[in-house]
Amino acid sequence: MKMPRIRLKSLDWHPYIEPVEIASATAEQLSAMKVTPSGGKISSYVRTLAHDPESYLARTELFNTIMYVEGGLRQQDRELGALGASLQNGCRYCSVVHAQRQAKHAGSSDTIAAIMQEREDALSPRDAAILTFARALSVTPPEANAKHIAELREVGMDDLEILDLIHAIAIFGWANRLMHVLGHAETKAGA
Amino acid sequence: MPELPGTPGQADLLDQVLGLKTGDFLSELRRLRPEFVDGAEICRHAVLSPARDQGLPQGLRLALAARMARLNRDDALTAIYDQGLKNVGPDGLQAKIATGNTPEHADILLAAILRHCDLITLDPRHAAKSDIEHLAAAGLTNPQIVALSELIAFVNFQTRITAGLRLLGVRG
Repeated sequence: MKMPRIRLKSLDWHPYIEPVEIASATAEQLSAMKVTPSGGKISSYVRTLAHDPESYLARTELFNTIMYVEGGLRQQDRELGALGASLQNGCRYCSVVHAQRQAKHAGSSDTIAAIMQEREDALSPRDAAILTFARALSVTPPEANAKHIAELREVGMDDLEILDLIHAIAIFGWANRLMHVLGHAETKAGA
Repeated sequence: MPELPGTPGQADLLDQVLGLKTGDFLSELRRLRPEFVDGAEICRHAVLSPARDQGLPQGLRLALAARMARLNRDDALTAIYDQGLKNVGPDGLQAKIATGNTPEHADILLAAILRHCDLITLDPRHAAKSDIEHLAAAGLTNPQIVALSELIAFVNFQTRITAGLRLLGVRG
């Protein structure tokens, strides 16, 4: 179904604790944050997580491979899985970022418009199957079941694509528990 | 704790949790994404047996992991963390924590950690600034708050992987 086009306003993220200051960071923290003399500004999110550089570095590499590895699940579907998890876990910042990315990769805001306007009846069967599974898997304890997997298969997803989707949802069970727990989102000033 | 897999295709912790052997459908499928398999193992070490523990010892980390695996009702993962905890020789408090109890004689710091683990595992949506302030007031440093957050988030990542893979492993 054709939805009215929407554009989501970007948010700023503000930590609840003092982030690491570049000037007083340890060599391990600088290395984890990939600080280079010519580099740009390091975000407050990265500087917050750099308090524990080993876990920050390990998680960032896993996150990047899960979200951007070549082949398998389409990028727009990984973003939709990320969005479903973020909505379920209540991470407003992650929801906006990954809704924007889903729309960009899909070349249309129809899917996110249907979700944000609570018109999930307007979703394609594929989007509906992904979103429903993402929400169910994100609850504690997880409530995903065989019917959800059957629905993903019915819309044409193969085993590798479902494997990729499970990982995209799961890594947001992680990311949401950092971003929504360690800080909060606000509408950008002037946006 | 099992060591990092030394050779490609060797069983990792998630294979153990899922009861997979080399050549099983799910084991083979997972190896189509070796970056995911290895990355999850590196992350597990980073949150459960890090080089710098930030004053959160391995026994406490394993006890919390077992507790959160229980909250996710993942029996196989719980059993692995229970065994890991047994291997490091837990103190009495850690053994109680793992089962989901909040011991009456837990100090303010430990009580705050347990409260936070349970809340963020079960209901991350309702996390608020006051929850982080509560940790800081109980005496956690900023590095400890971040390290604890990563541990909580990791176990909740892991339980989504195991739950999803179990469903995917049922061939219909």
